Amino acid sequence: MLDGTEDEEKFLAAGIAGLQQNSFYMHRALDSNNLRDALKYSAQMLSELRTSKLSPHKYYELYMRAFDQLRKLEMFFEEETRRGCSIIDLYELVQHAGNILPRLYLLCTVGSVYIKSKEAPAKDVLKDLVEMCRGIQHPVRGLFLRSYLSQVSRDKLPDIGSEYEGDADTVSDAVEFVLQNFTEMNKLWVRMQHQGPAREKEKREKERSELRDLVGKNLHVLSQIEGVDLDMYKDIVLPRVLEQVVNCKDELAQFYLMDCIIQVFPDEYHLQTLDVLLGACPQLQPSVDIKTVLSQLMERLSHYAASSAEVLPEFLQVEAFAKLSNAIGRVIEAQPDMPTLGVVTLYSSLLTFTLHVHPDRLDYADQVLGACVRKLSGKGKIEDSKATKQVVALLSAPLEKYNDIMTALKLSNYPRVLEYLDVPTIRVMATVIIQSIMKNGTRISTSDKVEALFELIKGLIKDSDGTSNDKLDEDDFKEEQNSVARLIQMFYNDDPEEMLKIIETVRKHILAGGPKRLPFTVPPLVFCSLKLVRQLQGQEENPFGDDASTTPKKIFQLLNQIIETLSGIPVPELALQLYLQCAEAANDCELEPVAYEFFTQAYILYEEEISDSRAQITCIHLIIGTLQRMHVFGVENRDTLTHKATGYSAKLLKKPDQCRAVYACSHLFWVEDHDNMKDGERVLLCLKRALRIANAAQQMANAARGSTGSVMLFIEILNKYLYFFEKGNPQITVASIQSLIELIMNEMQSDSTTSDPAAEAFLASTMRYVQFQKQKGGAVGEKYEPIKYEPIKA
Amino acid sequence: MPSRRRTLLKVIILGDSGVGKTSLMNQYVNKKFSNQYKATIGADFLTKEVQFEDRLFTLQIWDTAGQERFQSLGVAFYRGADCCVLVYDVNSMKSFENLNNWRDEFLIQASPSDPENFPFVVIGNKIDIDGGNSRVVSEKKARAWCASKGNIPYFETSAKEGVNVEEAFQCIAKDALKSGEEEELYLPDTIDVGNSSQQRSTGCEC
Ligand SMILES: Nc1nc2c(ncn2[C@@H]2O[C@H](COP(=O)(O)OP(=O)(O)O)[C@@H](O)[C@H]2O)c(=O)[nH]1
Ligand SMILES: [Mg+2]
Repeated sequence: MLDGTEDEEKFLAAGIAGLQQNSFYMHRALDSNNLRDALKYSAQMLSELRTSKLSPHKYYELYMRAFDQLRKLEMFFEEETRRGCSIIDLYELVQHAGNILPRLYLLCTVGSVYIKSKEAPAKDVLKDLVEMCRGIQHPVRGLFLRSYLSQVSRDKLPDIGSEYEGDADTVSDAVEFVLQNFTEMNKLWVRMQHQGPAREKEKREKERSELRDLVGKNLHVLSQIEGVDLDMYKDIVLPRVLEQVVNCKDELAQFYLMDCIIQVFPDEYHLQTLDVLLGACPQLQPSVDIKTVLSQLMERLSHYAASSAEVLPEFLQVEAFAKLSNAIGRVIEAQPDMPTLGVVTLYSSLLTFTLHVHPDRLDYADQVLGACVRKLSGKGKIEDSKATKQVVALLSAPLEKYNDIMTALKLSNYPRVLEYLDVPTIRVMATVIIQSIMKNGTRISTSDKVEALFELIKGLIKDSDGTSNDKLDEDDFKEEQNSVARLIQMFYNDDPEEMLKIIETVRKHILAGGPKRLPFTVPPLVFCSLKLVRQLQGQEENPFGDDASTTPKKIFQLLNQIIETLSGIPVPELALQLYLQCAEAANDCELEPVAYEFFTQAYILYEEEISDSRAQITCIHLIIGTLQRMHVFGVENRDTLTHKATGYSAKLLKKPDQCRAVYACSHLFWVEDHDNMKDGERVLLCLKRALRIANAAQQMANAARGSTGSVMLFIEILNKYLYFFEKGNPQITVASIQSLIELIMNEMQSDSTTSDPAAEAFLASTMRYVQFQKQKGGAVGEKYEPIKYEPIKA
Repeated sequence: MPSRRRTLLKVIILGDSGVGKTSLMNQYVNKKFSNQYKATIGADFLTKEVQFEDRLFTLQIWDTAGQERFQSLGVAFYRGADCCVLVYDVNSMKSFENLNNWRDEFLIQASPSDPENFPFVVIGNKIDIDGGNSRVVSEKKARAWCASKGNIPYFETSAKEGVNVEEAFQCIAKDALKSGEEEELYLPDTIDVGNSSQQRSTGCEC
């Protein structure tokens, strides 16, 4: 025996050299039609296959080379017979080869020609050959010799339709030959484990594993024999093969051959012989990985079921589900120590099977999950990561099959299986569920369903008892919470009563989520509620409606409470934004006090909570923008709110920000389409105030030499002037515009300002607009005509 | 080689399991097709006599298992191939994408003398399914891939209905023949007879 692969390479090279040398002489003999020399050198060539020094892999390489040479010899034999040499004589002649191994290879080769010549029935020649091969009992050499026999006889089996077809029993003859060869090969293969010293067992098992396909190949050949119908498969082929499998009592062989049987024979046959096949399982060695065998069977049958609806009746007819389910139960019972992975793999395969075969039988699916729960119970959370993955696969299967979470929600055992997952995996599963909902655009339409769904995804909704999320990656957390947010948008019912119930259910659950989650979950809930408000808004409120009915007012109350929950976190900017959204919705519902209340809340937050100057800027612009769109307010309320907004604007930290906020406020006094909300004077006041601030900013900039001036601000204000001028605000005169332009020109030319290309471009485009309006002619052109402008010469 | 002309052409069929390798071979050699799925184990061949320009050849067509677990002995049988057929299922993108791997693996394992010009033929099978409606690999895409790999001849077949199978194998035989003849030209079947090392112990007495 060898240790190094290097030595092995050397032996292989030597074997190849010997083989090539003899094949050279063999060829020469063939070319000169010298039969004796041909036999002599081919026998010598084949002697190389007598080596014991090669692993199966390397031996196979050598064998393939000999194999190729033998094809040439075979053709030569054919030519010989055509030239008048008797095939029977040839068959005798090759038996004179000195060594048995070369002799048998030659015999098989001639045998192949013999069958082709049809001078004897194929079955007789084959029977002779398969018997003769008993002469080789060395496992590796025997296995290769027999696979040679199998190969050369492959297209000469006397099966139906073959040109070697014999009498009535012709198929049986073909089957018998292959079965016999298979039996002998399996024996050689199994026996191999007992040969050689015990310490090399591992190496031997590896070599045996490499050899497995030589044995399995026979089953493939059996499956290809034309004329093996179901009866013959049931009565002869399967029992004979299983007999070998069971009796050999060898783990490797049993596992592999079961796999082969499952893969090489057709699905219809498996279905019709399920009892027999499943019945063999408990008879296998306890160490055989039955769960994989059964899983592969179920996987295969699932594929078959999925291939066409026409085959489903076959499954029902043989009660495949019950049989598989029982078989699994028995296996699990017989192996109390089966690891969780095994258990879950089995149930997972069975679930996939039933989903494909009995898509209408949710009770079956639930049964499978229930059986799985029973097996898992009492063992605590699953710790094995592979088993965990398998549970995820198990739970994902119904989602994939039905593309509908609603169906999974009907499986009472579904959440119970979830319980056995660890916290991170529960979260993964929740994400899978949400993704399925999003992908399929599933509407969740009742509060009960929402309730059930939240039960499934609670891993994302709140911290689980005793464990914190500290370890969770910040990005992952965000991703998860964003997916929850998207999910909330999928809750919808046309009926306002039910929708309100849904909203209340969601609220109940997300409130448990704690300060880290609320900023993600409150906004979608707010928008969901506002959607309901919009839906109700069109409808006349029933003046006689009882208190229980859903009204916008009621929802706004709820909204107030919902947003209120953000106060403790605190995320004042977000809360402020949401209040403003609500205010706008209340505006559209013509609910002035409600809208005013929301604004007040927003203002309180602005005054008390928002201290960061950037946040202030964002918020003030939001406030101005929203306020501008409000039409519900009476003069008094409106005055209060606009007054405050201008006040906030003027108090921003930096002058330029003040300036911009203040000129933005000008729009609060001039709302298009609302003539009672047009106050030209106050517009002008705002703009003037903005100008003063810009001036102050300019002076500060000049004082701090080097910093760019605020000429930009002036141009921005000029644009506001032009806007209101165009909208017909009588307070904005040509003269005021003209003087503003001059101011800007002066500023730009003054020595103390460094040139600012952006400002120049902005001014130029502003003035181009003026020019453009002039050229329009008509009323507009006339209006703009008096505005004069001389560009600065560079 | 004085008189014996080469008449055996070796062809290897590769591709993912289930694409129809066995069915193509059975359709071509035996004119038979079965809807049943039966996995192939290991590798073996069927032969078919073909005539080409008045000469008879034997095509030795090797069918293989697409699954690794049924290819336990390796791929020594690639050796000496004259043509390699790469099969995919036009209804499976994965099987098409894997053609690259199959081609690479073949070139590495078979190490033909001139890999650049080794003849491949690509077959897109199962075009009959669903009247072509479930097809996911377009002919254009497949042809583009073939073009990028040195203008590999391309055929679309249905092993089930026998469409284009004969034509594909005609081309396979022709390419195999060409490559076989070239090989003969460059690699005359001579070996170094002088360098013999007969003094090696062989195995037991069987
Ligand atoms: N409809 C159709 N089915 C095919 C075709 N070729 C093969 N099949 C089926 O596809 C499955 C796999 O075929 P097979 O030849 O065993 O694939 P292999 O694993 O590549 O050898 C079998 O069920 C065949 O009946 C074809 O051209 N059309
Ligand atoms: Mg196959």
